[in-house]
Amino acid sequence: MGNNEKVAVAEEEKKSVNEVVEVAIETSYVDNDDWATYRDDEVMQQHNAIQAEEAHKLPFVGDKEPLSALAAEYQSGSPIIQEKIKLLGQSFSAIRRTRGDGNCFFRCFMFAYLEHILESQDKAEVDRIKANVEQCKKTLQNLGYAEFTFEDFFALFLEQLESVMQGNETSISHDELLTRSRDQSVSDYVVMFFRFVTSGEVRRRAEFFEPFILGLSNMTVEKFCKASVEPMGEESDHVHITALSDALGVAIRVMYLDRSSCDTGSVSVNHHDFVPSISDSPNGTTNAVAAKPVMTLLYRPGHYDILYSK
Amino acid sequence: MAEEKYNMKNPAVKRILQEVKEMQSNPSDDYMSLPLEENIFEWQFAIAGPPDSEFEGGIYHGRIQLPAEYPFKPPSFMLLTPNGRFETQTKICLSISNYHPEHWQPSWSVRTALVALIAFMPTNPNGALGSLDYKKEERRKLAIKSREAAPTFGSSERQKLMDEIHQYMLTKAPPVPQLGAEQTSDEQATNQETDAVVHPQDGDDIAAGDEEPNPEADDRVVADVREVHVNANAGPLRVSFSAELSVSRRVPATGSSEQVQTQEVRVLQRSDDRLFTWAAVGLTLAIVVLLLKKFLRSSGVDVASIGGFK
Repeated sequence: MGNNEKVAVAEEEKKSVNEVVEVAIETSYVDNDDWATYRDDEVMQQHNAIQAEEAHKLPFVGDKEPLSALAAEYQSGSPIIQEKIKLLGQSFSAIRRTRGDGNCFFRCFMFAYLEHILESQDKAEVDRIKANVEQCKKTLQNLGYAEFTFEDFFALFLEQLESVMQGNETSISHDELLTRSRDQSVSDYVVMFFRFVTSGEVRRRAEFFEPFILGLSNMTVEKFCKASVEPMGEESDHVHITALSDALGVAIRVMYLDRSSCDTGSVSVNHHDFVPSISDSPNGTTNAVAAKPVMTLLYRPGHYDILYSK
Repeated sequence: MAEEKYNMKNPAVKRILQEVKEMQSNPSDDYMSLPLEENIFEWQFAIAGPPDSEFEGGIYHGRIQLPAEYPFKPPSFMLLTPNGRFETQTKICLSISNYHPEHWQPSWSVRTALVALIAFMPTNPNGALGSLDYKKEERRKLAIKSREAAPTFGSSERQKLMDEIHQYMLTKAPPVPQLGAEQTSDEQATNQETDAVVHPQDGDDIAAGDEEPNPEADDRVVADVREVHVNANAGPLRVSFSAELSVSRRVPATGSSEQVQTQEVRVLQRSDDRLFTWAAVGLTLAIVVLLLKKFLRSSGVDVASIGGFK
C-alpha cells in the first residue's frame, strides 16, 4: 500500500533529527523538575562560584613536588596505598598535580607533552604530530563540523607547539610554558582542542569504540561524544585516553594508585600503556607513531596527575 | 565590522567575528542575526515562525548576549516580539542557551542556537521558567501583528539594525496562513470522514499523521523541518513532510505558500482518484454478482446450493 510506504519513509526521516535539537528537547523534559526553581543566572553563578573555589586551591597545573608530598597525603591512610607510594618512589621522583575540574587528564597531557617537546627539541616528533593534527582536522570536516567551531582551538595548540621549539622569535621558556598552562585563555583552548580530537577519533572509529562506550555508559557513540567528550569539565575515561593516544599517535603510561592488592598479600603498582594502534591510521601510514610512552600519569580514582621518572 | 576596535588576540573576539562572517556569507530564510556595531558581544536576531504551526508567518525579534568566555560559556537569548510562547525581555530557558550551562558545548554556535530556538517554539512549555502557554488563536494573532514592524527597543543604532533585519525577514517569511480555527477543524473532519468511508485504512493513516497525540513526535517533525532549512540541499525532506502531515490540516490555505498548496492539491487528487476507483470496483462487483445470480436462476440451478458450496 503506497500510503504505508510513505508513512514508513516519514518515520525513517523523523529519526534523522538534528542531534542538537534532540539533546535540547530531551533535557528540557528531564530537567524541568530539578531546575525549574532556579534561574539560569543563578545556575551560572553557582557554577562560577564552584570554579572560583577550586581555582583558589590549585592552579590548572601545579608546581613540581617531590614524591614525598604524595606520601604525606596518605600518612594516616590505607597501608596498601602507603606501600604502593613507596614502590612508586623507586622509579619516580616527583609529581605535578593538576586541578580536579574534570579536565585533568587533558591538562596533564597538554603540559606533559609540551614539556617533553620543550626538553627534547625533537623536530621529527613535532612534524609527526603536526601531520596527525592535520588528519584530525580532516576527520572533523568529514564528520560535518563547521570549520569555524574548531579552527581556533587547533590554531592555538599548533601555536604552543611552535613556541616550545627553541630558536624562533616566539619561543618560550619552561616558566612561560607553565604560565600559559595556568592561563585560562590558553589552557582551556588547548583542552578543548584535545576534546575535539578525541571526539573526532571516537566518532570516526565508532564501531571500534561502541562496545566500550556501551559498557561504560549505555549511550550511543554520538551521545557519548556530545555528553561526555565535547563539553568542558567532563571527566576522561579509558575511551578518551585510547582515542586521544591513537589520534595523535602518542603513547601514554598510566600508573594506578588504588587499594587493590593481590591475594598473596604482595603489593605492586599496576600500570597500563596506551600504545597507539597503527593499523587503523586514516591515511594508511604506519610510521606516524611514537611507541615509547612520552609521559607517565598517576591515576587515583577520579583524577590524573603527572609523574616524573628518576 | 570595525576589527581594529577589538583585541584580535582575544580568542572570543576572533571566534565571534568568524561567526558574523559565516552568518553573512550563508544567510538563511528562517533567521537573521547580526551584532551591534558598537559591541560584537551584543547581537540582534529575528526568526521566522516554524511552518505548520500557529507561529507560521510570524517574525520574532530578540537579542543575544555572548559572554566574555564565549564559546566556552553559552550565549543567552531574549525575545522582544510578543509571541505567546516565551515571555519577552526574559532570558529564555533552553538547554542550548545558558539555562543549563553544563549542556552547552563550544562546537555549537549562534546559528545552532537559533535553529534550536525555532524548533522549540511549538513545543509544550511544561511550565518552564519564562515560558507562556497562550491559545493557538492568540498566538496566530500575535504572528500576524509581528509582521507590522520590529519592536521598539534600545538605542537608535540597535533599532536601525532591528529594522534592517525585519525588512530582510519580510522578504523571506511566508505570509501567515489565513484560516480561522473553526474552519480548519470542519474541513479536517469532512476530509477524514470521506477518506474513512472510502477506504478505512487510508483514512486511519492520514488521521494518524494529522492528529498525532504524542507531543514528542510532533516536536520531532518540526525539528526535522528546521534541519532541512539549515541544510538547504535536503529539500525533498520538507516536501515529503508537507505531503504527509499537512494533508487536511491546511486544506483551504488560501493565502499560504504555493509549494504547500500544490502538495495539498496533489494529495487531494490522490484521495479523489481513490474514491472513484473503489466506487467503480464496487459497482462492477455488484453488477457481476447480480448478473451471475440472474443467469444462474434463469438457467435453473439452485442458488442456495452454490452458497453452501462456498
